[in-house]
Amino acid sequence: MLRHITAALTALTLLSFPAAAHKVIEPGLNNNIVKGVFSAKPESRWNRLQQRDGNFQEVWTIDGDRLNRIVFYGGVPVGQPLLRERDKKRDPLPAVTGNMLLPDIPLLLERTYRTKYGVAIMSIGKQEPATLDGRPAIAFDYTYIDPEYEVETKGEAIAALDNGKLYLVAFEAPAVYYFGRDVEKFRNLVTTLSLKG
Amino acid sequence: MKRSVIVTAIALAATIPLAVNAADDEPVLPPYVPAYEPQSVDERGMWMMADEQEKLMALSELRIDDEELNAYVERVLCDTVGKDRCTGVRVHILNIPAFNATMSPNGAMTVWSGLLLRVRSEAQLAAVLGHEFAHFEMRHSLKGFEQRRSASDAWSWLAVLGGIAQVNTGDAQVSLVGSIFQFNRGQETEADLLGLKYLAQSPYPSRAASEVWQQLMEEADATDFGRKLKRRESYRAGFFDTHPTSLSRADYLLDQALAYNDSGDPRDDEHYAAIKKHLPKFLSDQVKLNDFNGTEYILSGIAGTTGWTGELLHARAELFAARGNPRDLITSTTLYLQAMEAGYRPPETLRGLGLSLVKSGKRSEGAKYLEDYLAAAPEAPDAAIIKMYVPK
Amino acid sequence: MFRRLISHLLVLSAALALPFAAAAQEKTGSKDGFTLQQGSVRIALLEPRIIVGEQSTGGLFEPNADWTAQARENLERELTNALGGVGNEVVRLNLNVTPEADSLRRYNYLFGAVAGSVVEYQFFPGNRLPTKKQEKSFEWSVGPGLRDVAALEGFDYVLMIRTKDAYGSTGRKALQIVGLLAGVGVTSGEHVGMAGLVDVKTGDLVWLNADLQMGGDPRTPEGAAKRVSQLLEGFPGMEPGKP
Repeated sequence: MLRHITAALTALTLLSFPAAAHKVIEPGLNNNIVKGVFSAKPESRWNRLQQRDGNFQEVWTIDGDRLNRIVFYGGVPVGQPLLRERDKKRDPLPAVTGNMLLPDIPLLLERTYRTKYGVAIMSIGKQEPATLDGRPAIAFDYTYIDPEYEVETKGEAIAALDNGKLYLVAFEAPAVYYFGRDVEKFRNLVTTLSLKG
Repeated sequence: MKRSVIVTAIALAATIPLAVNAADDEPVLPPYVPAYEPQSVDERGMWMMADEQEKLMALSELRIDDEELNAYVERVLCDTVGKDRCTGVRVHILNIPAFNATMSPNGAMTVWSGLLLRVRSEAQLAAVLGHEFAHFEMRHSLKGFEQRRSASDAWSWLAVLGGIAQVNTGDAQVSLVGSIFQFNRGQETEADLLGLKYLAQSPYPSRAASEVWQQLMEEADATDFGRKLKRRESYRAGFFDTHPTSLSRADYLLDQALAYNDSGDPRDDEHYAAIKKHLPKFLSDQVKLNDFNGTEYILSGIAGTTGWTGELLHARAELFAARGNPRDLITSTTLYLQAMEAGYRPPETLRGLGLSLVKSGKRSEGAKYLEDYLAAAPEAPDAAIIKMYVPK
Repeated sequence: MFRRLISHLLVLSAALALPFAAAAQEKTGSKDGFTLQQGSVRIALLEPRIIVGEQSTGGLFEPNADWTAQARENLERELTNALGGVGNEVVRLNLNVTPEADSLRRYNYLFGAVAGSVVEYQFFPGNRLPTKKQEKSFEWSVGPGLRDVAALEGFDYVLMIRTKDAYGSTGRKALQIVGLLAGVGVTSGEHVGMAGLVDVKTGDLVWLNADLQMGGDPRTPEGAAKRVSQLLEGFPGMEPGKP
């Protein structure tokens, strides 16, 4: 809900400052993802959402945040959560730890969604080794019930730990229709992903 | 707000003979009026909403659809308020890891999984159910609710879950989890006192009501301690948000219970037996909430009755493993081993132990347990990535 | 759905004295080239969400059962007349708690998410996704799996209707006047509605209409007729003014 108020407030501001609206991501090389942490080469058009949930996050969508989204979490350092803190003192979010291993990453995502977004039902599925720009990575999938529309949402992600920082890119969409339709775009994008030094 | 005639009746009702000491207070229950129909315009509006909410709740993804668990909660309710009163109440159990129970004017009651995790006996569950039922019996009006929001508690769930099964457009208060069903302080006190009467009349000891509040406050204190917050004077978050509480609440409940001087078997073992099947899931959901000290408090509370069972040790291990400070991994390793010694050896424990060892630098020892994990669960969804830590 | 967003936007626009409320009250979108074939179409009216109540002084919604019951009766009758009047058949479908109805329930949630997205990311000017800005771009769907939903067998379209009316109480209206004097905008009353049509064969949302300031009092038959004509404004194949 807070998300919506923030979105609405930002959106109202956008009425006066149209330059700050959502931006089109054209197909082709894009090396300015999460302020240059990632680069990738999408094959189709996306929209980059103007609102970001913290300094490490960026969201692309085709039809809207709850219908298809690619979420980039770029270079989250030890001690920081994936998303902006709600109330750091009273209600801190789980953070990246110094001794995390790849198999710990899905749990961090789950704990983040449960605490920040109030997701009550979520489960992690397949988890496999992968590579992300040459680094050892974990590829995993998950499902959760989106609290806003109560829609069963599927997710697929790839994540790596590099130099004490966490990098995670995920695709989420409703299990009905949208996930199946758009996941290939995500998978192709992942093959083009690279991390800044 | 309509003050029920029944409240007056409590004061005037003829004594119902009870097996209590003549010198003690006698908990006199009013005659029960079943099959109540809503009267005023506002009441009918609220009942209509309640009916719709209940229908959406039945359709909701959040519902725990377990006949046995439902039967358990319903049985405790009936043992508390009596058969006359409990027929017609429908219990819905929701998969939400926070302490809360709600009562609608149409007889629909919800109980959250976080509540089942926190009450330590049937008597404590009875205390909460009785309190909620008292609101229903007294037809407490539903006006005067305010929108409140605070972090990491029932209300943050509502704030975010507000979208779930909202009845029609627009209003954040009108949500599945009964946020409109909130009462004022006077009504809360009335519900406390009538709830206590039910308990005193029931096989359960009425001191259980006070215990529930004490435990909730202690848990809140533990959470605050863990977050290095100042000790609070009043409790606002969580269940307290819908049930305004001063420190005196636990006190007056205890005072009245002492005056009733009733006794009974709280049936703590029986409660844990009833939720046994669900306990690992309830624990897991709680552990994932990033409230280290609050969760520790809950685990110790359960251990007080059941002892440190394998499930509890495993949950405690997960707590330390997730926090992941350097010493935490030594603790988690020890706890996983203790869980296994207690006979609790599901694949998750082997996995947890293996990873804690690997992260502590004991790679070969860890690999051994991870191998055991893979042997125990060859089809595990994470088998492929765990294999990475097992040298060939 | 878009409900919370719209409510917040109305409150916020009033608070910030922005022209949002005036600028974007109603919006219609329809799939390029779509028109409704008259005369032989079967439409499933999926459990409409209609509620009427009062808005308290504090801005809270207080439902009124009588008003809601009246509004439901009137609106459903007028909808059936308006759509059926051109030779179509309108049948009301309820959402039940049965395994067979599970599929329909899941699609119903998805309808809400799609409609919410349309309003949030296409209709609302400040939040529009740039790829959705083009004139003829109304590409929204729940996918072709919809035709396999058993409960929808024999139907050509699903119609979604959601309305909420919160009449400003005396206290709220008084506050509005006080606010005006003080230079603070206070909205009194809220009348929002949405209607959408989904093609069962393809799952495409062929038409959606969202209106933040609906007219017509649904508690009366005449008001309900007016309301329905607003809800169905821009309904493909229907001419304005016809019953």
